[in-house]
Amino acid sequence: MSPKAVQYRANSIIYFKGDQSDRIFLLNAGKVSLSYVDIETGQEVRDLIKMGEFFGVKSALGRYMREETAIVLQDSAVMVFSVPEFEQVASKNTRIIAKMLTVFSNQLRRIHRQVQNLMVSDEQVNPETGLYKIGEYYLKNKRPGQALYAFKRYLVYYPTGSYATEVTSKIVQAEEFLSRYGSGTPPSAAPGPAALPPAGGPRASAAPSAETGETSELAQHYYNAVSLVSQEKYLEAFKAFKKILDGGPDPEYSAKAEFEMAKCLFYLKQYDTCIKSFTAIAQKFPKHPELKDALFFVGRSYEEKGDKARAGGLYKKIISMGPEDDAVVRKVKKALRTLEGEKA
Amino acid sequence: MSPAATGPDLSMFNRFSKTFRKGDIIFCEYEPGDTFYLIQSGRVQVVRIIGELEKNIAILNPGDYFGEMSILENVPRSATTIALDDVKALEFSRENFEVLTLGNPQIALKLLKGFVQRIYAQKRTFMILTLDDVEAKVADVFLMLAENQSIDTTSVDTIEFKNTVDDLSHWAGIPSGQCREVLNHFVAQRRIELYPDRMVVKNINDFARFVNSRRKHQEK
Repeated sequence: MSPKAVQYRANSIIYFKGDQSDRIFLLNAGKVSLSYVDIETGQEVRDLIKMGEFFGVKSALGRYMREETAIVLQDSAVMVFSVPEFEQVASKNTRIIAKMLTVFSNQLRRIHRQVQNLMVSDEQVNPETGLYKIGEYYLKNKRPGQALYAFKRYLVYYPTGSYATEVTSKIVQAEEFLSRYGSGTPPSAAPGPAALPPAGGPRASAAPSAETGETSELAQHYYNAVSLVSQEKYLEAFKAFKKILDGGPDPEYSAKAEFEMAKCLFYLKQYDTCIKSFTAIAQKFPKHPELKDALFFVGRSYEEKGDKARAGGLYKKIISMGPEDDAVVRKVKKALRTLEGEKA
Repeated sequence: MSPAATGPDLSMFNRFSKTFRKGDIIFCEYEPGDTFYLIQSGRVQVVRIIGELEKNIAILNPGDYFGEMSILENVPRSATTIALDDVKALEFSRENFEVLTLGNPQIALKLLKGFVQRIYAQKRTFMILTLDDVEAKVADVFLMLAENQSIDTTSVDTIEFKNTVDDLSHWAGIPSGQCREVLNHFVAQRRIELYPDRMVVKNINDFARFVNSRRKHQEK
């Protein structure tokens, strides 16, 4: 069996709403419209099929009743496929599937949103509040590992967001909890870490492991400083990070603090020192996970100093480091376009 | 989130392999998302925090995929995913995702069919939620559950469901107290029987007629 070419006269019907069939159609010539009732508005809608477009796909693939009536408006030439025939054609040209995936995912998003609107009467949550609330939920339910994930992601996406200060202090709470009871497990009467004395206060320095206590104190200093950055208090933040560095080397926080200090220098308009600091970091940690960010700050510093050639060179270098869909690379591309636009 | 094809050889994608420890969040609802996952080993739980409750949406197994929505549409994640065991998964970015689907029609077709099923499931839920009558809503949930089990309601009368009152109230979009009242009313009318571990609908066709007449009445 192979797909059949079928001619339809104007005003004929290819299929009716409510029909059940495994046929999929491809419009080759003519004019066909799909008529259906929008489930949200109750209004009848007519969509014209574009030339070269498939229709009847969803109901055939899912073996559901047709949800629309396909009406021929002008004499039309249509290819008719069975599901296996369609799959064969689509497998040879996966772009067809890729395009349909986008269309279907849009439809799914839309109906999903409509259902959600009916299910919960609460107002739609914006993503920033939503992410914060998730962290809060897990913290409240004594699942610090999961709370930490949500809060840390929050600071990545909304470093100066409206909950940044709360998030910073909650990260400290979650880390303390984690260091005391371990990941994601609520404290219980079981032996082990839970045998520690109950938390006497927020600092609970009674923890037997001095090392654990120190780590969490350092974490608190670090996140307090991050909070200052999010409040745009760069000078205070710089000082706070410096204090962490002066306290001696730490495997986790020293490098982070150094990086943040260099960032503060940029915002404090100390471009030369910023360039020097980030260059030193890049040399010391050639595989730094945020190397592109570091180079971007160096580039921006040059740009601020009016050295557009150097700035442009650095931007191009970052872009060449890829991948193309990397958030930093996207930002840098935008910066480069602006820079080149200014030059022109 | 249906199983991926069993056939395709994915060894060429091993460099995209990522591991998550039991309890790790893989991604969080509301996060901007640009990665898609194919589970190789371990289970993944999909949850949403609704009010003060963590609601289990699904448990995914090796061969299942998740996260494909954000990648196609560039919208925030619609649920949180947590590693239920130590999990190994292939992580694809938007670019790699295209390579995966363009080069693996079997997976692309599975994804497409998965979307179709989910669109219909959502539409079915929408039909329940737009009923005005709360008893009709609950009755229609029973009908939907029967359809999901591929039970031909024209040929049987009595059907047993292993669902809880909370499940029913969730699908009907009503508070569980109200759902319980409706169920008690149905019990008094001898339309259903309630047991600690199951519910029995005595005459599913009676529910079908009831829901249809309510829906028609509403359309007028």
